[in-house]
Amino acid sequence: MIEYYTFKHRGDALDFSDEVFLRLVPNLTVALFFGSNLKIAPKSQALLFSEILNSEEGCKSIEYLSSVFDECLDEESEYLILRVLKNGVECYRRGGVFAKIVKDGQIHVLPNGFFGLNVGDSIVCATSNFYKYLTDEGILADALVSGSCSDWMNMLIRRISDQCQLKCGNLSAVTLKLNE
Amino acid sequence: MYDFDLLPDDTVFALYVALVLFAIAFVSFVAISLYTLIKMTVYSKKHEDKLKLTPDVAFFHERGKRGNQEDSVYISPLEKIEDSGLVAACSDGMGGLLNGEVVSKYVTDSLKENYPFKFDAQADNAKIISGISDKVYEDFHLSAGATLVMVHISDDLLNFYSLGDSNIILIRNNRATLLNNKQNYASIMIKKFSEGGIDTVDAYKDPRARGLTDFVGNFKCNVQMTSKPMKLRDNDIIIVGSDGVTDSMPLNRIAGHIHSDQNAPGIARMIKYGVKSSKNPRQDNYSAIIIKMRRSIV
Repeated sequence: MIEYYTFKHRGDALDFSDEVFLRLVPNLTVALFFGSNLKIAPKSQALLFSEILNSEEGCKSIEYLSSVFDECLDEESEYLILRVLKNGVECYRRGGVFAKIVKDGQIHVLPNGFFGLNVGDSIVCATSNFYKYLTDEGILADALVSGSCSDWMNMLIRRISDQCQLKCGNLSAVTLKLNE
Repeated sequence: MYDFDLLPDDTVFALYVALVLFAIAFVSFVAISLYTLIKMTVYSKKHEDKLKLTPDVAFFHERGKRGNQEDSVYISPLEKIEDSGLVAACSDGMGGLLNGEVVSKYVTDSLKENYPFKFDAQADNAKIISGISDKVYEDFHLSAGATLVMVHISDDLLNFYSLGDSNIILIRNNRATLLNNKQNYASIMIKKFSEGGIDTVDAYKDPRARGLTDFVGNFKCNVQMTSKPMKLRDNDIIIVGSDGVTDSMPLNRIAGHIHSDQNAPGIARMIKYGVKSSKNPRQDNYSAIIIKMRRSIV
């Protein structure tokens, strides 16, 4: 069973220009768009991003989706698509949005492509603005200590808050845990 | 100037022979040294994973400006590391309450009694700590309490347990990270503020921010623990200490104060003098156990 928790915060910016997209069926799909880093029309790009994902209804492959994004979105767009499959996760990222996986007491950046998952593995997907205030060791420790995805997220937010009191740009993240 | 023509032929011959022998010996020495160095490097690279990570341990335990010592530390017997791992704990008696030193000492003594702990039985170990807390509650009914941070290291794996706001710090690649989350009201306020979409400046200004939401002495306390162990690396430094250390020496200053090639006693000395040199007029008791991980054949 996959458990997830999303977090969106405007920070000290006027608007929330990122986009966090979630689809539960047929497979859990998580998509993050780092709009706050775009100089031109971030809102419309974020909207276009979620419209493309809405229209595909979870049936298109990640490669196909990424080619559509490359065609339709601004060339400086930064995004991540992650799809949880039966025995693993498929991931595609571009720019400063990435996923980190906690596995066997260690943390790694999730590479583009397919990656096998086991029970107990945890994944955090976030923009580089979210990671800016965190260390890998802190993310790892919180993943190992927390009992749920919301606990994990709250611990990460406490770490970010300790450094900037959330007076930073947009913060967008999703935590996922694979439970029995 | 020397004129070798004046020397007898035998002596000149002997000198030449000595020179040739010296040259051979020198070349052999260089060749053997290089060969050994290359072999050792290749061997340690090849067997890096098989070589054990062993902890080098040191501690300091200082009173600061306080009249009494309310911190208490426990380090498990070093000769039992191979069988039962290393357990290091620090308990800090809660300021403003009576019997702080009694409770913190009771906590570390109880840990000593319960040693050895099973490494993979994190929930059972947390239950032991919770039991110690319940006992303190029965004796003092919230009129006394203490914090507790404890690490359990077995080979290259680390489990940790925490109650309250003491510190477990990991220094890796010259960067310090607090591993445990502080169980205080600030955490609750930060959660509320972030969910409400506002910044958290006021959470830190609140006079209750540093008040503990859980501690040893609370009934049925919630022990923070790793459900799975964390993998340690060569040259990792773990600091298990009271907040008296970090109040005077923030994390980035600790990391900047020590060198990666120092051993545990050297690091302990540097941090101790770092706290002392901050000359905090209200310096709390400050204690810490320093553990430096080193890969070794032994």
